[in-house]
Amino acid sequence: MRRLSPQRAALAEGWPVLVTVFVVGTSFGIVARQAGLAPAEIVATSVFVFAGASQFAMVQVFKDGAAWPLIVATVLLINLRHLLMAAALRPYFTQVTIARRLAAAFVLTDEAFAMAIGWFRRGRTELTYYATFAVALYLGWIAATIIGMVVGPSIGEPRRFGVDFAITATFTAIVVLGLRRRSDAVVAVVSALIAAGLTFFGASVVAVVTAGALAPLLAVLVREDGAA
Amino acid sequence: MIWLSIAGSAVVTYAVRAFAFRVALPTSLPRGVLRYLDALPAAIIAALVGPAVLVPGGAVTRGPELAAVIVVIGVVAWRRNLLAGALAGVAVVALLRLVLAA
Repeated sequence: MRRLSPQRAALAEGWPVLVTVFVVGTSFGIVARQAGLAPAEIVATSVFVFAGASQFAMVQVFKDGAAWPLIVATVLLINLRHLLMAAALRPYFTQVTIARRLAAAFVLTDEAFAMAIGWFRRGRTELTYYATFAVALYLGWIAATIIGMVVGPSIGEPRRFGVDFAITATFTAIVVLGLRRRSDAVVAVVSALIAAGLTFFGASVVAVVTAGALAPLLAVLVREDGAA
Repeated sequence: MIWLSIAGSAVVTYAVRAFAFRVALPTSLPRGVLRYLDALPAAIIAALVGPAVLVPGGAVTRGPELAAVIVVIGVVAWRRNLLAGALAGVAVVALLRLVLAA
């Protein structure tokens, strides 16, 4: 494949994810509106919280009439996984100023993390790839939220066209492209199974952070067995 | 109350994201820790994929998602192309859902 600039590569590879996130953002606008949130509250949530899954959870818990500390605690639990992601991205950001790192942290999402790791695992180091994708995602998310809020229920069911699967498919591709040894594949499969199991048994709120923290232990154990 | 929820959620979300970006790791880490950190990114991404494939929307998959993910793995392993894999996966999921709905 010809070499694209990091900015162009971010958009060329990231567009299926961006389109999907746009659809999800639109449905957030719709759902939040139906739950009775005011337009200013809905937009503020997307602008300042900017975390897809937890925004939906916020609306759900809010609808159930929960007190604000419970809402905040739910959001914290769901977003704890970003601690792991930031830790994994940190080594690639050692050359930039603290201010830029803190800016990078604000637009950190599952999607931006996965795309960036996919980029770095190919040996590329340009941070503009991450910045371009993450900012595009942020602006798209806000725009989509507003559109969803305004056009409301006239939007059809996107699942029918498989749009929701674009993110999953892209993430799978990133994992496959990043495989370097047998233990990588084992860790990935085990992690996916743990997260799916936790979700099945109703613990979806902590599924990703738990699976993501546990599965890499296998890589440590497998390697040490090999060395012994 | 909703404004408190939004402000609180924004603060905790940003604190989590910024923490690990801000804090420097020691330059020399034990080998086991390095292995752990090396395996971490793929594990997190896989953890995001697992539920979406096996229990999409909270219910056990009827097959389309699982079949699609196998196609994605096959296409990417063969072509080494991210976009081709993603589009193949979406096409398979859309087609199979259509067939199952019929």
